[in-house]
Amino acid sequence: MGMRDLGRRLKYLLHRDEASGELDEEMRLHIELRTRQLQDRGLGEREARYAARREFGNRAMLEIAASDVWGWGPWERLAQDARYAARSLRKAPGFVAVAVVTLAVGLGMNTAVFSIVSAVMLRSLPYPEPGRLISLWEETPRRQDVGTLNSSGNNLGGVHARTRTTVAAANLMDYRKGAAAFEGLAGVETARMNLTGNGVPERLIGESVTANYFTVMGVAPQLGRTFTEEEDREGGDPVVVLSARFWERRLGSDTAVLDKTVMLDEKPYRVIGVMPRGFEPVTQYGNTEPVEFFVPAAYPKEQLAAHGDHDIGVVGRLKPGATLRTAQAQLDAVSAALAARYPVTNRGITAVIAPLRDDIVQSVSDSLRALLAASGLIVLITCVNVANLLLVRAVARRHETSVRLALGAGRGRIARAFLGESMLVSAAGCAAGIVLGRALMQVLVAAAPQTIPRLATVSMDWRVFSVAAAMTIAAGLVFGLAPAWQASRTRPSESLKATERRGGGTAQSRWRGALTVTEVALSLVLMVGAGLFLKSFTTIMGMDLGFRTEHVLAMNVNLPVLRYKTADLRLAFYQELERRVRALPGVQSVAYANRLPLRGGWSTGIEIENVSESNLSPDSQPVNPGYFEALGIPLVRGRLLTEEDRKGQPYVAVVNLAFARQYLKGGDPLGRRFRRGPQAVWFSIVGIVNDIRRGGKTKDMRPQIYLAAAQTDGYPVRLADFAVRTAGNPRLLANAIQRQVWGIDKDQPVTGVETMEELISESVAVQRFQMLLLGVFAGVAVLLAMIGVFGVLSYSVNQRMNELGVRIALGASPGRILGLVMQQAGGLVAAGAAFGLAGAWGLTRFVGHLLFHVESHDPATYAAAAGILAVVGLAAAMGPALRGARVDPAVTLREE
Amino acid sequence: MEEREAIPPGTLAMLILKTLARGGEMHGFEIAEAIRRHSEDVLQVEEGSLYPALQRMLMKGWLTGEWSKTAEGRRARYYQVTPAGRRRLEAELESYYRVARAIAQVLVAE
Repeated sequence: MGMRDLGRRLKYLLHRDEASGELDEEMRLHIELRTRQLQDRGLGEREARYAARREFGNRAMLEIAASDVWGWGPWERLAQDARYAARSLRKAPGFVAVAVVTLAVGLGMNTAVFSIVSAVMLRSLPYPEPGRLISLWEETPRRQDVGTLNSSGNNLGGVHARTRTTVAAANLMDYRKGAAAFEGLAGVETARMNLTGNGVPERLIGESVTANYFTVMGVAPQLGRTFTEEEDREGGDPVVVLSARFWERRLGSDTAVLDKTVMLDEKPYRVIGVMPRGFEPVTQYGNTEPVEFFVPAAYPKEQLAAHGDHDIGVVGRLKPGATLRTAQAQLDAVSAALAARYPVTNRGITAVIAPLRDDIVQSVSDSLRALLAASGLIVLITCVNVANLLLVRAVARRHETSVRLALGAGRGRIARAFLGESMLVSAAGCAAGIVLGRALMQVLVAAAPQTIPRLATVSMDWRVFSVAAAMTIAAGLVFGLAPAWQASRTRPSESLKATERRGGGTAQSRWRGALTVTEVALSLVLMVGAGLFLKSFTTIMGMDLGFRTEHVLAMNVNLPVLRYKTADLRLAFYQELERRVRALPGVQSVAYANRLPLRGGWSTGIEIENVSESNLSPDSQPVNPGYFEALGIPLVRGRLLTEEDRKGQPYVAVVNLAFARQYLKGGDPLGRRFRRGPQAVWFSIVGIVNDIRRGGKTKDMRPQIYLAAAQTDGYPVRLADFAVRTAGNPRLLANAIQRQVWGIDKDQPVTGVETMEELISESVAVQRFQMLLLGVFAGVAVLLAMIGVFGVLSYSVNQRMNELGVRIALGASPGRILGLVMQQAGGLVAAGAAFGLAGAWGLTRFVGHLLFHVESHDPATYAAAAGILAVVGLAAAMGPALRGARVDPAVTLREE
Repeated sequence: MEEREAIPPGTLAMLILKTLARGGEMHGFEIAEAIRRHSEDVLQVEEGSLYPALQRMLMKGWLTGEWSKTAEGRRARYYQVTPAGRRRLEAELESYYRVARAIAQVLVAE
């Protein structure tokens, strides 16, 4: 078919009515002329006309054949079907409303969840050729072997697997040399610095990166340049690249900013570049605080020699055409060589890579997949529900179908008409679902924990729309097929004989029963899932932290090293701050440490006198004497730290019960001594306090040592966290404390001001989100299942009106009738529950690892879910059953 | 009427083209009558099926159709062969003759 054919065909399409009139005229003329010819041969007028028509053939068929020549026939019939479907749907607004709303709810939920999944997990990262970007980390046989972990807690790449660790900068240099598959490997680490001068002092989050970082990410600055290799060397010029946000926010988008200086941690940094607006720093994913500056990593010589110091994150870009596998093989070779050369630090350590995108979303991908699966179940349930509605309709229209069949409509055509209807309904449902989904998406994004990476980029993109469209078609087919098949099997000879009200037939009721059982089963699966997550969440919330969180306000006061050069100067600052804050009204006690619970930590390798076991690495904290009171950590035995435990006095420490349990096999720690290395000083244990869950509700109670903050030569970390316990609302004191800080040092920022309650709430945000969402899903599912049960039973009661009437007339009591209907309901619910429990048993395995201290086959949850479903299902059946029991035999029998 | 033969499948278009090529402008009924006349009443055009065939040939661009008046003053569509239609006719004739010759050869062979 050439272009000219198409042209003629389009022209035909535009003048179709005219063309069919012309064809008609032509045919009429033909018959007329033939009639006249036959009359001339002596036939009577009527005979002649009949003969002419007979010879001509079926004109209607011929017209269809003639117009089919132009190739638009199938389309026209489709449009016809759609028109027909629309017309018949217009006559049933109630049905359409229920079906569309049901579908909109299901598709809307799914669309909302999927738009999050799409943005977070599927969309490419915003860098050129993002497929070549990888994340690199190191894995160790056991975590304890690594020794002191990076206290800055760089979380590049989400949660750490048990054996995963950040990379030693020294090793990075070897990976660069030995792995030819990479275009570049860049080191990146979170850097926090105080900005002073020129306005309010602030603590900024930034990245300390190697010179090739920006090349690896493939993003050039919008202004100026990035670092040179010389600047990325120890002792290189202090230069800084700014984020667009910082440049706009603090510098008013000053284009003459280059070569000006900003004061970071009391040191002037020369601005050499500004990154463009859309640039996403690697450590930004999953962090709400914006990354605002970049400084050269300039690893010092000692760090480049220390193969055991795992401090930095690494991102890399593969060469075009290089595969993950070849790169990994090269890295394996380098790891093996390193292990041979530095057995003490590198034995068992391997470099591992993964696509950067997978690594960024790794922490949430399982949760999101579970939620997506749950929302998929909702869609299935809504489809089943609508299929049920359509079946009722199909049954009600048996008469009409029979008439159409009797008049010669093909069975295919009848089936198509029903499919057309279901398609129209699903298209309308989909459109409504997208609108609803958009709103839900915004709600979800607002409610979701902000630690989900890329959450801000969630929007409805082509992927969301195409999935919605695919689901619409699938849904239309799925719930349209059963009624269509049913209708196409209608036998007009039988159904035309039956009275219109009845005629449901056993096949239909079997279909409907099966659909309802499916619905009940699917919603039970969701209920079990939601129940498991609810139980998991309540278990988490019920976990005893071991310390008191109410009325405690925590904040970060990070003293820059250039101004506070020694630990003693920093201690003096904190002691002064404590003195001033204690004087504030409402303050009960004050705590300061390196890190407060739930705000990171520091663990150190120790050896205990007369204990042979090595690789002990308790959580460690230097704390002030008031720390225990402020956080409500009770003393078990011995004494707490006091003001007397200061520099020059014997080194002392307080440990917790877990320390005694795990390290001393239950022995008495009082009077025992430990040290943080062969050359370090000995600490005497003077007290035992209760265990706490430092990391939060889902974390273990680990062995812990508390050192005296005043013995500044006993620990290597900096004091940085400050907290108060107050009589009233601790939030109200935030400004007063801030003023006290500025009273001591006007350039000192206060950051991370949060109550302990808020910290806890944030630490379980993901679990809460999961639980709430699944709860809503399960609620909707149960509601839909109720509608399903209600619908089937009302229909069946309607069908059985006569039978019930006869039964009552013959003396059956209303109670017996009630029992009869409820028995049917019980059968449906029981069958659904059986399938649902089996399905849940099989499916919940996949979310087992997302649950906290709850088995995925927790019998209590299964029983509770099935129980609730049974009650709800039977409650839904009560309405129809009561109606059945109130049947008036006089009325129903007269109708017969 | 009973002795008439139905037109072999696939040849209707060729017959229409040839008829129109010979006779210039004709309307549907005239084409049917011409085919019957020229075949000495042996070939019977299934009257109705003429029209889908004509539509198809219009679509292909082998014919054009113009409305004008018959001798009795009735409106009728008069068909005419286009150059494309003539080329098509030649192609069809050639292949038809080749097949007919081949069949004849098979039939007369000893």
